[in-house]
Amino acid sequence: MNRLLALKEDFTRQGILISFNGSFSHSIIEEVGTAAKRYMETRDLNKNTITDVFAVYIEQTQNVRNYVLERGLAKSAYDSAIVLITATEGLYAVSAGNPVLKRDRPALELRLTALSRLDKADLKQLYRQQLRAPPVAEARGAGLGLIDMARRAAGPLTWSFENLDATHDFFSLVVHVTGA
Amino acid sequence: MLSLPATRSSPSIAWQDESHSLVLKGESYPENSFEFFAPLFSWLKAELPRLEKLTLRVDIPYMNSSSTKCMLDVLDMLAERAATGADIRVEWLYEKGNDRAYELAEEFSEDVSLPFEIKPVHRLDEQP
Repeated sequence: MNRLLALKEDFTRQGILISFNGSFSHSIIEEVGTAAKRYMETRDLNKNTITDVFAVYIEQTQNVRNYVLERGLAKSAYDSAIVLITATEGLYAVSAGNPVLKRDRPALELRLTALSRLDKADLKQLYRQQLRAPPVAEARGAGLGLIDMARRAAGPLTWSFENLDATHDFFSLVVHVTGA
Repeated sequence: MLSLPATRSSPSIAWQDESHSLVLKGESYPENSFEFFAPLFSWLKAELPRLEKLTLRVDIPYMNSSSTKCMLDVLDMLAERAATGADIRVEWLYEKGNDRAYELAEEFSEDVSLPFEIKPVHRLDEQP
């Protein structure tokens, strides 16, 4: 059965502007991000909002892709993720969800909890510190993505872990953006 | 000779001999920033010791977090060369009205000791 109308109504209720569900490749990240940016440019004149939404989208999706590659999850059942950009009454949110190894959960939770206690000035300081940190072998990123998102976010980052199976959880991260 | 074309997610990088300018132009969120910037680091390592004059012109409206790390490494290399007597300056362009692009430039200027000019430009064309 085709449930497109019900799905469309659900998207509308949640204010979903754009979403991608599946394996993130670099070209998918580019295409979806560019489309989202073009669309926002026709709707919203505030350049800061557009820049922040786009930047958070890039950090979210590249974090997921880097995680998949660093953990060797490509082409496995744990390679499929989701990203959403939503807008409800002028408040944007960029949400991403992906399978993570249960053993990675404690460190990730610790990191997010620590970030949530910092104000914008602390986050700026931490970003500058991390910029000067020596690179980590085999890491594809610079360890800056979460800090960058926290700096651009309106309010704290929100996250959850849901049980997938004995070895994996589904990690969701929501970042609200106003561009203020 | 250093000349890399831009893609949707990576800037063009070119050395212009007659104006002693190293020009980076375009958005920067490549698949792997460290790999993408590697040719620039190699070029700087080889050429910087014999260059007496260099202007780094940056026209990058958006860069992802790992690109900021690479950019800081580039600026550090330039500052090191400036400390041994070369005439090195930075010209950072941002679109007038884009506060985020300005803030990015400002943070870099606070972090490196190089003559650093932040210049507003009026952009008529859209980004590719």
